[in-house]
Amino acid sequence: MSANEQEQSTRVEFDSYEDAVERLEQIIDRLDSGQAGLRETLALCREGRELVTYCAGELDAVGAGLKELKLDELAEKLADETR
Amino acid sequence: MGEALEPDRLGGDSIAASEPEVPRGPDLPGPFAVGRYARKLQEEMRRRARVLLIGEVTGVGRSKVQAYFELRDGEGAVPCAIWLDDLEKAGLPDGALRDGAEVVIAGGPDYYPGGGQASPSFSFRATHVRLAGEGDLLARLEALRKQLGVEGLFELQKQLRRPRLPKTIGVVTAESGAARRDLLAGLERRGWRGTVVWAFAPVQDRHAAPAISAAIQELAAQPRVEAIVVTRGGGSLADLWAFCDETLCRTVAMLRVPVISAVGHERDSTLIDDVAAVACSTPTHAAEAAVPLDCGVARIDLERSLAALCRAAEGSVRGRTPHLVALARGPARALRRERLSLNQKTREIRAASERGVTERLGFQRRLATVVLERARLRALGAEMQRRRAALHRAAVALRAHEPERTLERGYALVEDSEGEPVTDTAAAAAAERVRLRFADGKVEATIGVEQPADADLGEQDRR
Repeated sequence: MSANEQEQSTRVEFDSYEDAVERLEQIIDRLDSGQAGLRETLALCREGRELVTYCAGELDAVGAGLKELKLDELAEKLADETR
Repeated sequence: MGEALEPDRLGGDSIAASEPEVPRGPDLPGPFAVGRYARKLQEEMRRRARVLLIGEVTGVGRSKVQAYFELRDGEGAVPCAIWLDDLEKAGLPDGALRDGAEVVIAGGPDYYPGGGQASPSFSFRATHVRLAGEGDLLARLEALRKQLGVEGLFELQKQLRRPRLPKTIGVVTAESGAARRDLLAGLERRGWRGTVVWAFAPVQDRHAAPAISAAIQELAAQPRVEAIVVTRGGGSLADLWAFCDETLCRTVAMLRVPVISAVGHERDSTLIDDVAAVACSTPTHAAEAAVPLDCGVARIDLERSLAALCRAAEGSVRGRTPHLVALARGPARALRRERLSLNQKTREIRAASERGVTERLGFQRRLATVVLERARLRALGAEMQRRRAALHRAAVALRAHEPERTLERGYALVEDSEGEPVTDTAAAAAAERVRLRFADGKVEATIGVEQPADADLGEQDRR
């Protein structure tokens, strides 16, 4: 396996919390099976850590404090951000 | 109704017969005096079948003799009028004929031809009016439900993917009310502290359905809004009627953002419940449907996953360390084994050359013995010779069973340091050092036990 291929196989690709958790569960199942070789185990652990970091970030994003906006306030906020 | 308004029929034979025909412009009958035409129109209208209509009252007004209003629903409206006498006879509660009231009226179309000063007008002349009951509304709801169901509008929202952890939720509800409070409490109980975008709307009157529709569409247009909750407290079916509005429900069905409805109480079933992605019985349930993930539980799960990962990573290294160490020792051990084998061969060669001398002496000695033996046998006679031959055969047969005989065929016997035979791998592994007994002598040997190595690593090692 070339370094490039390895990078591709371990690149974390997901776009939602549920995708990330699903992949994480697959990884842990694979590790628990004891069938993964050393190289695969380490790659899976690295990917798993990235997934955990991502998921924790997502949870933190909805953990800071409940924000209430009115619709026009949201629209204003978005306009400010794109400015 | 359309056919009755066609000029052909309205300007029919009776009128045409009494008026001179002056063809001008397009080839049509007439011209007729408009007043007579208007009265004829009135007759035509009044001849139409009397029916019951159901709809929502809007724009109520009164003159000295009659009340007028529009009766409408999502698809259209009819201007209506009722004589005050008839209205009184209907016995409605005070102020019941108001904007937003859902009523059933009986009557038929009428046309007021106007007069010298008065404007002409069309209206549906109601003779009876009553507030729509649950039964009327339910019948209408069922018809609508059937229609929308046939069109497949109940399935669209259900096919949408609902994020388990949305960051922003849109909510359509009344600005004041328990539903708003309950929803917030439900979200907080979920451990969810994201962003709620409120789109307040009236939830009960004739403005409600269009306002709710507009609010939902505006929320859905915000890219950050990942789910929309529509909620209000319980009430009669008439109170909740806005949530059965056909236009509103069609709007919800076509949205690309999942809508979670929580309208009324458990027993109330509005049409929006059918088209929504999820229908909930209370605002608290709606909060759980909007954020399917219990954030508190998710945090614990995540910590557990991280621990499992750490364990796997450490375990995979720790489990392989002894094997790696063994492999690292490999080359030295191979060298030692080679050196040992080399020494052994040297000794064997030396022994063989010595044996060569000894064997030649032995051969001469055996030759001499055979010659002497023959001489002796000849002396002993035939009987003795027969006995000797039988003994010899027995000896040969016996030898065939001796291990040495087997060794001569190229096999080797494995013995431990005590000289006991080693007959299986376990014993061999236990003994570590053994002797291999060949036909021509013994050789020391070391058992190299193949560890149950990791196949994957083994391969990599070879690469």
